[in-house]
Amino acid sequence: MTLDREELLRMYRTMVCVRQFETLAGEYFAAGKIPGFIHLSIGQEASSVGVCSALRSDDFLTTTHRGHGHLIAKGADLDRMVAELLGKRTGYCKGKGGSMHIADFALGILGANGVVAGGLPLAVGAGLSIKLRKTDQVVVSFFGDGASNRGPVHEAMNMAGIWRLPVIFCVENNGYASTTPVARACSVPDLALRAAGYGMPGVTVDGNDVLAVREAADQAVARARAGQGPTFLENKTYRIRGHFEGDPQKYREEAEVQAWRDKNDPLQRFAAVLRKGNVLTQDLQQGIWDEVEAQIGQALAFAEQSPYPEPKEALEDLLVNP
Amino acid sequence: MAIEIIVPKLGLTMEEAVLVSWSFAPGDKVAKDQTVLVLETDKVSYELPSPGDGLLHPLVAPGATVKVSQVVGYLAGDQAELATLRAEPPAAETDKAQPAAAALDSRASKDRRTPSPASADLAPKRIKASPLARAMAAKEGLDLASIVGSGPAGRIVKADILRALAGVQPAVATAGAGADSPTLTPTQEIPITGIRKAIFQNMHHSLSSQAQLTLHTEASAANLVRLRRKLNQRQGKDATKVSFNALIVKAAALALRLHPLINASVEGEALKVWRQINIGVAMDLGNGLVVPKLRHPDQKGVRAISQEILVLAERAQAKKLTLADLAGGTFTVTNLGAWDIDYFTPIVNSPESAILGVGRIVEKMVPVNGQGVAEPRLSLSLTIDHRVIDGAPGAAFLKTVKEFIEEPLLMLE
Amino acid sequence: MAERRLSASAALAEALREEMTRDETIFILGEDLVSHSGIFGQFKGIPENFPGRIIDAPISETCVAGCGVGAGLTGMRPLVDFHFSDFVTCAMDELCNQAAKIRYMFGGQVKLPLVVWCPDGAGLRAAAQHSQSLEAWFVHTPGLKVVVPSEPADVKGLIKSSLRDDDPVMFFQHKRLFAKEGPVPEDADFIIPLGQAAIKRPGADLTFLTYGSGYHLCLQAAEELAAQDILAEIVDLRTLKPLDMETVAHSIQNTNRAVVVHEACVTGGFGAELAARIQVELFDYLDAPVLRVGAKDVPIPFSPVLEDYVLPSVAEVIEAARAVTYR
Repeated sequence: MTLDREELLRMYRTMVCVRQFETLAGEYFAAGKIPGFIHLSIGQEASSVGVCSALRSDDFLTTTHRGHGHLIAKGADLDRMVAELLGKRTGYCKGKGGSMHIADFALGILGANGVVAGGLPLAVGAGLSIKLRKTDQVVVSFFGDGASNRGPVHEAMNMAGIWRLPVIFCVENNGYASTTPVARACSVPDLALRAAGYGMPGVTVDGNDVLAVREAADQAVARARAGQGPTFLENKTYRIRGHFEGDPQKYREEAEVQAWRDKNDPLQRFAAVLRKGNVLTQDLQQGIWDEVEAQIGQALAFAEQSPYPEPKEALEDLLVNP
Repeated sequence: MAIEIIVPKLGLTMEEAVLVSWSFAPGDKVAKDQTVLVLETDKVSYELPSPGDGLLHPLVAPGATVKVSQVVGYLAGDQAELATLRAEPPAAETDKAQPAAAALDSRASKDRRTPSPASADLAPKRIKASPLARAMAAKEGLDLASIVGSGPAGRIVKADILRALAGVQPAVATAGAGADSPTLTPTQEIPITGIRKAIFQNMHHSLSSQAQLTLHTEASAANLVRLRRKLNQRQGKDATKVSFNALIVKAAALALRLHPLINASVEGEALKVWRQINIGVAMDLGNGLVVPKLRHPDQKGVRAISQEILVLAERAQAKKLTLADLAGGTFTVTNLGAWDIDYFTPIVNSPESAILGVGRIVEKMVPVNGQGVAEPRLSLSLTIDHRVIDGAPGAAFLKTVKEFIEEPLLMLE
Repeated sequence: MAERRLSASAALAEALREEMTRDETIFILGEDLVSHSGIFGQFKGIPENFPGRIIDAPISETCVAGCGVGAGLTGMRPLVDFHFSDFVTCAMDELCNQAAKIRYMFGGQVKLPLVVWCPDGAGLRAAAQHSQSLEAWFVHTPGLKVVVPSEPADVKGLIKSSLRDDDPVMFFQHKRLFAKEGPVPEDADFIIPLGQAAIKRPGADLTFLTYGSGYHLCLQAAEELAAQDILAEIVDLRTLKPLDMETVAHSIQNTNRAVVVHEACVTGGFGAELAARIQVELFDYLDAPVLRVGAKDVPIPFSPVLEDYVLPSVAEVIEAARAVTYR
């Protein structure tokens, strides 16, 4: 499958957007403007953009505590995202969710999930719903290498396997489950090997190569739309930031992080490919970065100017019919 | 500077007392040594002399339990000081025992001439009533204090209010449990406090610490009756009458001299045989059982003993027995003859070791030379602490008492 | 016309058939449903009439519950069968962290129609892991509705309301009551709104507040108490959340005394919540403390003598009634 120029630039732009969003979120958090805690996906942009760019807007998505990138890649509104991070009434969840609980059901985003592996059973339900409603939508469920060891993953993959549901189980293997290296927590080197146990194909790709990810995602989506069932996609990537902002990161050497940042940055790698193919020029690249910066600056301004909810709004939105 | 009114320690074991009443209304002028308040301990009533002159500012409502050394009120030097005291109750010196203090104060300031500071509605006693009963009583203007509760622990419930509204007093049969109900419901709940608590504890302690054995015998009272009649005829009408009790106390006292081991108490690991003979006379004059002591009745005449008993009885009735009246007993006499009792098993007034129970004098037919002759007879019951007094010495003592009663002339020896 | 009588199982099956005919998005998901029409026969007639809409899942309670949430979020109205209510422990994350919170934590963006159907209760000598009454756990979780019917007509009326509701509903039906028959309206539109209690027996002397199997204890106790001239009113709460406090208040204002009866163990049970609300909202109407009758605070034991001892009895209900009426 070949991607046209516009699509390639759109993907690059989205990756830049994720990078800048996360960078600014980190700065805002450090400045004390974001309450609670946040988990950033810097370094994992190829995975989120590579997969989500393969989806239609009516496809479904479940994501994780590290979900900003997936949301942006699926088309979420930056203004409402930032407003939610700041706990404002104009946020996606009117300030009730925060970083870990952003959803946009109009875009098929069934929510970021604060419970590790919490999204997978829901994704299977969405897959069953697609099958029962006889549409050709697909569901992508992102999870991490840490989540891959939880029980619900087993149940979810088995059920999707037996019912041949249009679900793509996308594990972003970023090397660490919080502080635990993947080799110490997982019984196999490639998590995709587990797919065989559920009767579905398992694919391991270079998760920092956005085009490789996209290609694998396209194939998985095609299988799902054709009613051929689920796919287990493993994107091998690396988390540049700590598990959460403020993580002392005593479990790894700075040199290791530095090596990934310098030699395996997904944005740099993709830009190099695009430059080589004459899709991207220096000016164009700069233009994209500036444009995204302006867009995010606008989102920040919107969020900062937005009001906080009234305290008593905490009692709203629990039930449709109280 | 206001003078503190402090609860004195009345006796070694006293820790608390009930403040029965104030003798003056708040704000009244009290002179030094006038009775300012009345305390009741488990043993005595005590009228506290005022520690000085001043205007009374009570901190504790009547009925409250107060502790030894507690400041229960002040005597203000003048009206200004009284006003200061009323405005700022010294919180550090009040304690949880006086929730009604503030209420008492506010009431007093409305009416300084409150005639009786001991009026019942100032008592801190909580009336138990269900929320509904309270609401109904408030609506109907009923005073809960006037209603007897039929619920658990005397709780006033809806049914009691309805009965009160209908003008029906709760009868025992209708209050609480129905005739066929196995559930017991009290008609009233009497707190075990004050003298009752002392009796409660003393009786239980006596029976649980001693090995009590009761011996019974019967004596001819013919000579005793004759002697008493003569003694009482000899003097004019104004003289104190010699009582049977006095005669029996005298007999017991003299018998104790002959049987010193009966006049003894266990203290620690030893039996202490007392030099003095002080005989307690149990009396219940409506304020609970008290046992004031007669000092050395072995050395006194029976008329003097009779006089002493009368004085003690008057004090008991007025709740004015002193600690000295109650302390230092070595033996007790208790008489239930007035209630037609013959024999009983009196409980030793611990730490004493014996008690003589006196029954009624009643005419019985006794054989004299093969003929039945009517004779006044007196029943006697002696309880001894068998831990220290064996049956035989106990019986020997009782026999001596019997001999003295049957032939009072023997007491001259 | 003679009243038509149905068992609770049949009432459930009838209601489901009617609703599934009315609404094509309703489907049933659970374990071992198709071959026996549910292990208690509760889905009689559904596999034949609605093929593909009653689905056997592998033994995966976690994912079955999560599947219900995912399908409910994406346009379906799932009924998830929990086999035995005791197994909700395997899906507490899906029920309490996901289903209960999704609408709220996403700021009201979405509705989640989902019925979690749980056969519960003791008395079948099924021991500690197949006998529990766990409704209070879910009452304590904001975002869930909790329904506990006692009679067949309630089952029909309430399951229909639950399926039509746009919020997640925990629906507890007592295993021992499946076969118990009662009058059930034939009307396909017979519904009982959630949050509506019923005064099922009027009485002036005290109020029994109950639900589920407790209702039948109260009914029997009320008969025996009537012979002793104590007239008990029975309020069948039917829905614990939302709670019909108005009916509770109405009854207690008349009787001034209340006993809460449920099969769940007493400590931390729904009775505690009721008693607390009653003392706040109805304090001045109370002539006696609110009493609770429930199971003793141990897991349900196996041996019949043990189980019968642990479960609340008619005698205990009567004793409580006499205590609050001071008789």
